[in-house]
Amino acid sequence: MPRPIAHLGLVLITLCAATAVPLGAQESTTVGGYGEVHYTNPSGRNTPAEVNLRRFIVYLAHTFKDRLAFRSELEVEDAKVEGGSNGGEVALEQAFLDYRLSDRVTLRTGLVLPPVGIVNETHEPPTFNGVDRPAFDHDVIPTTWREIGVGVVGTVPVTEGLSYRLYLVNGLRAESFSAAEGIRGGRQEGREATFANPSLTGRLEWVRPGLRVGGSFWYGGTTAGDTLLGTGTFDAPVALFSADARYERGGLALRAVAVTIGVSDADTINGLYGTAVGSRISGAYAEAAYDVLRLLVRGTSQRLNAFVRHERYDTQADVPAGTTRDRGFARRITTLGLSYKPTWNTVFKGDYEVRRTAAGTGEGETLRLGVGYQF
Amino acid sequence: MRLWLLIGALLAQGAPPAKVTASVRRIFGPGAEVRTLTVGADTVLRVARGDSLLGFAMVRAVRGKDQPITFLVATDSLDRLRDVDILVYREPYGGEVAYDAWRRQFRGKTATDRLEVGKDIRSISGATISVNSVTLGVRRALADLAAWHRSGAIR
Repeated sequence: MPRPIAHLGLVLITLCAATAVPLGAQESTTVGGYGEVHYTNPSGRNTPAEVNLRRFIVYLAHTFKDRLAFRSELEVEDAKVEGGSNGGEVALEQAFLDYRLSDRVTLRTGLVLPPVGIVNETHEPPTFNGVDRPAFDHDVIPTTWREIGVGVVGTVPVTEGLSYRLYLVNGLRAESFSAAEGIRGGRQEGREATFANPSLTGRLEWVRPGLRVGGSFWYGGTTAGDTLLGTGTFDAPVALFSADARYERGGLALRAVAVTIGVSDADTINGLYGTAVGSRISGAYAEAAYDVLRLLVRGTSQRLNAFVRHERYDTQADVPAGTTRDRGFARRITTLGLSYKPTWNTVFKGDYEVRRTAAGTGEGETLRLGVGYQF
Repeated sequence: MRLWLLIGALLAQGAPPAKVTASVRRIFGPGAEVRTLTVGADTVLRVARGDSLLGFAMVRAVRGKDQPITFLVATDSLDRLRDVDILVYREPYGGEVAYDAWRRQFRGKTATDRLEVGKDIRSISGATISVNSVTLGVRRALADLAAWHRSGAIR
């Protein structure tokens, strides 16, 4: 039998002396990816179905040393980009450096995702139900929202389960706000972005097994240097507040998100740029899913989620004086569907969406089928 | 000599030795005697107090999305899982696997338990990759420690 090398205290001292040696992960590169293909069939005559390679993303990460790593997502949307024809996009969805200062604190810089809602940060197709991302996560929270900045990510020491992210990033451009999609057009996405209005965005999150609850905000001016809109750093500010929750137990999965966005100076913005952006954009959605496969096949690790989601939002919840409110932007969308997941990172989806508006305009039903993967 | 083997093995796993000792002390209490045993490529820490065996511990790493997650698995003298510690977490998301509220699900498990996410181990929304990786890593480490202890490879 080998003799005890030491009492633990002595081991501790001896091993501590060895921590001067460089530790941990070696320099390495990781490739991953995700993607999704959609079949979309709106109801009605003269609306033929369409198939589309909606997203193809290459995830590329490199570890320089144990505490310093780079991560990126390069995306091709709609399969192809060709000069002179519509559609298609090649874009960086994320590209940032992480420096792990300690177990509790990481510094992050680069093209980052504002930590707002659920889908903006966690957007791989197997992670959400429904073929397409929720419409709410397009028209209200402008997913995939990414801007350039610096920030800090970490856990709160006082109590287990609390974590935060806080970034200082470039601001939005009011010039491209719209009535139908709110602040979406104002994103700069890392492309020669003006830093006239730095913005703050952050999130506080509380996690237990099966439960994740978060609150997020975005605050910043939107003049983009247009002196007609304002000269101050925080002029024509957008203030966003959101809350979200995810709960899983057994075969049950629930999630919900609510957001309110205030666009101060919407009147000036609309006058200046000829748009009709709401002074308040707000809405919410809730989704319930149940894995029915566990009822049919005992002990299976595959899943078949049946889900229903209801979204209710209005990009003109309030309009400034002088702007006519279009109730067609007050949307109510109900989606029913199935997600079959042979593994946790692959999915076959089908759903049926019913879209209604307060004005009765822009309504319709859509059948969608899709496949998605991540690795 | 053996100490250097231990340090070498731990460095290879990317675990700062101070964290390993702190983890072993947290799990087994102060005053425990530790010595190292080698089984194949693995280094097992044998933890005892006086003549009585307290259990074993082992440091391993699994891959998260793109980074290794370095963890420690400790068993008691009857091969029941005493605790899991996440020693180093390097990913941008999913760090909640280090929370006690999640790790404590593993305590008391044996090599005959399923240790499967969504079955006897609850997942964490938004941390799927890390939850799956760590659970699989713990299941394998627990199975190895139990099998080696049964076969006499460690005792």
